[in-house]
Amino acid sequence: MAPPAQSQRSASPSQPSGKGEVSDLKSQLRQLAGSRSPGVDDSKRDLFKKVISYMTIGIDVSSLFGEMVMCSATSDIVLKKMCYLYVGNYAKVNPDLALLTINFLQRDCKDDDPMIRGLALRSLCSLRVANLVEYLVGPLGSGLKDNNSYVRTVAVMGVLKLYHISASTCIDADFPAMLKHLMLNDPDTQVVANCLSALQEIWGSEASTSEEASRERETLLSKPLVYYLLNRIKEFSEWAQCLVLELAAKYVPSDGSEIFDIMNLLEDRLQHANGAVVLATIKVFLQLTLSMADVHQQVYERIKAPLLTLVSSGSPEQSYAVLSHLHLLVMRAPFIFSSDYKHFYCQYNEPSYVKKLKLEMLTAVANESNTYEIGLQAKMLSWENLDSVVVGDLVSVTELCEYAANVDIPIARESIRAVGKIALQQYDVNAIVDRLLQFLEMEKDYVTAEALVLVKDLLRKYPQWSQDCIAVVGNISSKNIQEPKGKAALIWMLGEYSQDMHDAPYILESLIENWDEEDSAEVGDLISYVKGRSYEKFDRYTGLNVLVRLHLLTAVMKCFFKRPPETQKTLGAALAAGLADFHQDVHDRALFYYRLLQYNISVAERVVNPPKQAVSVFADTQSSEIKDRIFDEFNSLSVVYEKPSYMFTDKEHRGPFEFSDELGNLSMGAESTGTVVPAQRVEANDKDLLLGTSEKEDSRGPSTNGSAYSAPAYDTSSVSASSQMLSELVISNSTVPAHASQSSLAIDDLLGLGLPVATATAPAPSPPSLKLNSKAVLDPSTFQQKWRQLPVSLSQEYSISPQGVAALTVPQSLLRHMQGHSIHCIASGGQSPNFKFFFFAQKAEASSAFLVECVLNTSSAKAQIKIKADDQSASEAFSALFQSALSEFSVP
Amino acid sequence: MLQCIFLLSDSGEVMLEKQLTGHRVDRSICAWFWEQSISQGDSFKLQPVIASPTHYLFQVVREGITFLACTQVEMPPLMAIEFLCRVADVLSDYLGALNEDVIKDNFIIVYELLDEMIDNGFPLTTEPNILRDIIAPPNIVSKVLSVVTGNSSNVSETLPGATSFVPWRTTDAKYSNNEVYIDLVEEMDATINRDGVLVKCEIYGEVQVNSHLSGLPDLTLSFTNPSILDDVRFHPCVRFRPWESHQILSFVPPDGQFKLMSYRVKKLKTTPIYVKPRLTSDAGTCHVHVLVGTRNDAGKTIDSITVQFQLPECILSADLTSNHGTVNILANKTCMWSIGRIPKDKAPSMSGTLVLETGLERLHVFPTFQVAFRIMGVALSGLQIDKLDLKNLPNRPYKGFRALTRAGEFEVRS
Repeated sequence: MAPPAQSQRSASPSQPSGKGEVSDLKSQLRQLAGSRSPGVDDSKRDLFKKVISYMTIGIDVSSLFGEMVMCSATSDIVLKKMCYLYVGNYAKVNPDLALLTINFLQRDCKDDDPMIRGLALRSLCSLRVANLVEYLVGPLGSGLKDNNSYVRTVAVMGVLKLYHISASTCIDADFPAMLKHLMLNDPDTQVVANCLSALQEIWGSEASTSEEASRERETLLSKPLVYYLLNRIKEFSEWAQCLVLELAAKYVPSDGSEIFDIMNLLEDRLQHANGAVVLATIKVFLQLTLSMADVHQQVYERIKAPLLTLVSSGSPEQSYAVLSHLHLLVMRAPFIFSSDYKHFYCQYNEPSYVKKLKLEMLTAVANESNTYEIGLQAKMLSWENLDSVVVGDLVSVTELCEYAANVDIPIARESIRAVGKIALQQYDVNAIVDRLLQFLEMEKDYVTAEALVLVKDLLRKYPQWSQDCIAVVGNISSKNIQEPKGKAALIWMLGEYSQDMHDAPYILESLIENWDEEDSAEVGDLISYVKGRSYEKFDRYTGLNVLVRLHLLTAVMKCFFKRPPETQKTLGAALAAGLADFHQDVHDRALFYYRLLQYNISVAERVVNPPKQAVSVFADTQSSEIKDRIFDEFNSLSVVYEKPSYMFTDKEHRGPFEFSDELGNLSMGAESTGTVVPAQRVEANDKDLLLGTSEKEDSRGPSTNGSAYSAPAYDTSSVSASSQMLSELVISNSTVPAHASQSSLAIDDLLGLGLPVATATAPAPSPPSLKLNSKAVLDPSTFQQKWRQLPVSLSQEYSISPQGVAALTVPQSLLRHMQGHSIHCIASGGQSPNFKFFFFAQKAEASSAFLVECVLNTSSAKAQIKIKADDQSASEAFSALFQSALSEFSVP
Repeated sequence: MLQCIFLLSDSGEVMLEKQLTGHRVDRSICAWFWEQSISQGDSFKLQPVIASPTHYLFQVVREGITFLACTQVEMPPLMAIEFLCRVADVLSDYLGALNEDVIKDNFIIVYELLDEMIDNGFPLTTEPNILRDIIAPPNIVSKVLSVVTGNSSNVSETLPGATSFVPWRTTDAKYSNNEVYIDLVEEMDATINRDGVLVKCEIYGEVQVNSHLSGLPDLTLSFTNPSILDDVRFHPCVRFRPWESHQILSFVPPDGQFKLMSYRVKKLKTTPIYVKPRLTSDAGTCHVHVLVGTRNDAGKTIDSITVQFQLPECILSADLTSNHGTVNILANKTCMWSIGRIPKDKAPSMSGTLVLETGLERLHVFPTFQVAFRIMGVALSGLQIDKLDLKNLPNRPYKGFRALTRAGEFEVRS
């Protein structure tokens, strides 16, 4: 099948159509394959370049595989590299053809040039074809013993790649032991670093099945090894230093002098030019000194300057990452940056993501300076000074941001919010209120809207300012405000202060006349919701317009009680419009008001217009527990996302990196899922992310306890759709100025995303003495720590019902079942007939935790459990609860 | 660890794709990313760390080229960002510039470089000196050489990994003229608020060294007043102990140009020049008057002075003139006043009127004036080099010192 000789080398249009080009290339490659003529390498190189550029554009050139391999017999290293690149890209989809490449790669692995040896070995390991692993073992073995460190470096990484293709082959060839030997003896630090990262991963995932591996993993954190690495740290490349530092952060020193030794050794790392090294060092310092409060404070002082330099000297992207960490630190150690607030002034040219974080820093810094009581008068003065400077600056920021209207509006909004946040946290709000009122006069739609929202919040906290604010607010025409949030805030104030605002009833009346305008916008949104199927969007678009109408109803009611004769007609119109409303919530609220008025006017007044107390503290949105968790994960994505990694990382991938003890990779088949079709994986990940966000809101729920005005805690199981509306009602009425987290709690359970709670089982007949927290959280490392520290308080053997044994064919169902009883699984594994689970649970009111190791044998129908508890006395009760939960387990 | 790196052109086209681990990342992620970045209006605004439905993305934008890295596992974000920045630096160093064409022309080199810079998702080496040992840059010299010798490989003959003693230095640098140049380059960041008060003034400085020295030289650099430095960061070659005890920089330099040290000097009291803008509006017009002058003689001339500001959206037309230099109003409503040097006899000033949109009585939005200048021969922080000693050198080398200060983020608010 000789190719037709129609090939024309010059013809190559810049926009290749695909097929014709590829077949053209194919024939050209064939001609060159056998050629030995001088200069053939150059023409090959041109062709290869073309092939790879097609590959890069995304054209499928896998059909050239055979020809490419035939042409790969060359001594030209660039040609080789291109060929390796090509082969690495397509071997996985062409496993049969990949066999062809083995031969020449193996030959190259024995080349005289170490560069070629290394490159060939790297490509060989990057083929990732499972049935070719047998060909890897030989070259890898000799690569690890190669006398050139470059080859050894590549070989070590190759072992890890082999492990991911076929773990058993890797273990059987005894590679981990060879790596360990290299790690301790190799003179080249890059080899050592690669060994370390490879061994961490291999032993990490082996630990679940092999006692020896878990012991080996322990030794990675042992004193001699950590010291050995730390003493050589300066010889490592900057990236390898990060790796060693990460290891050091996990190391638990035995005493104080060791801590100081390590810190002395690492202090100069804070001056390293690479920001990643600096941040990794800071993590070591913070982790080491957690238990020593005063040293911990000194550490904050020490790391301040390097962090600030990182912010101001790096690229905006780097500043962003560092600022996220600074924000975390400033929350924990309020005072460290209070004198350096000028570093967080926004520069004109900075991208808005940096400006936004800087604004957050400014708010955080300003906040702390006042809430913390300082004795010294002089300091007090300087703080006051600081505030006015900060606020002054914020104001100028908003102004700055107005030039490029479309670019910087979000920042302008952010800074107004920031001013408001500061205002809500200060004692002396005089100047700030003035600023806010100035915002209102700026005649910019979005500025006015944001400012109105803030003035509303401010009035809820400082009712004494109402006179000043009302005077300004009264001048604002509601027609100029387009944004629902701003409009709702204005309406709220109209209702709340209708006795002081002369024309309040008439403004409300005109708003009600335009009721339908509010409505018409919504229909469109609803359609877009149905099309988009995005709940979030639905919430954002329709929710807000509904918000305006709901507020309108309430405001008219309030106004009615204050100025009945003027408002009566308006109220009638409002209720009529409300009852005819398309939206269920609006309709229901109108009906509710109508009935209430019908029932008893004075009761209605008590409901709608009760005497109000000022809000003292607006609750923090993040619980301190979450903050602590994020702090533990310093120098990771958690900090950027402001939530602990368990809330967002892919569970499948978290295993090998996060777990670091006997629990290791027990978690449900971390490797086995690797074979799932990619599309499914994507979906699974998708869900994971979704789950993450819902969990976040979930855990916000409990933090509401901080507010003195929060409504009585809802029984989560009985929360129904109406509760969301109820809480909205509550907010808008401001009889109970609760915050939105209740509604998020409700939404959360509505969707049932967080926990597939008790699918079929009846509620557990648990002993009344012990109630478990259904939303307990415990991260794997804390679990391990506790498991190591605590003694076994109870060890028992139960028998399992036959139904339970039958249901155990799907071990996950047990996890779900136990979760229904507020007992959470942290890791599980094993093969029939033996299954092993680690559970944990938390007491409902206290933070004390129960840890359980449960070994189930399906052939003997027995369950052996070991319970460890913070509170030993409660372990009996917990055991009973656990047993009853287990006994109910059956096929759903 | 990173799973994949993409290079995207400024139109969102995938110019390069480098898979790093067994978990292949489909390039559809780029389409998703690009859609996001378009929906954000300006791609510059998109955050450096983004959560996509399937991966976590890190992006760094340089000269219109987006460096995009994907991962699915928890990792230090700064490490990924820092690495991408280094990739960008190394590429622009290798290719002489960074743009779509140059990357497309040299994509093989880019692949080669990435191959050596990162393996299995973990960064290996980003040190330009080492990389240059492994892969020769595509410069004119090597092109000429390849024509002459017929050896068209751009792989140098030196083997990597033979230089673990001082990893940042090539093994055998040989020069007939041994020379070393030390530059103090400082940038002044200042913010002057509406009342003319200097709210922030800080110097960010770098000690840049260009070394052409044979063998393994050992250098010692000292300053007369090291105590003014607030925070310092060093190139890995600097030994920490001598700095700790005597504030002396002792190091074996890499070959060629490198950044030896960077530092900050906080809380400076004055700026070398002042810019006094005055805006007054009445009845729909705004009068602008900007005055520029030197505050106290820095001893050296200040040149390349420009004052730049963005005209607010609500300005219909502007008529601005100056008594020195030229005033240009660019298409994007940026007003640029190039002054150059300040003349001895008069203080430069710019004045004129801005016509506001109809209906607006006065200006609510006040522009920020960005000032640029350059002073040769002076480090404004006051940092001075005391002496430079060289050991391990066969003959006396030539030592050169220079200093330069320029404006960084120098803003005057009005």
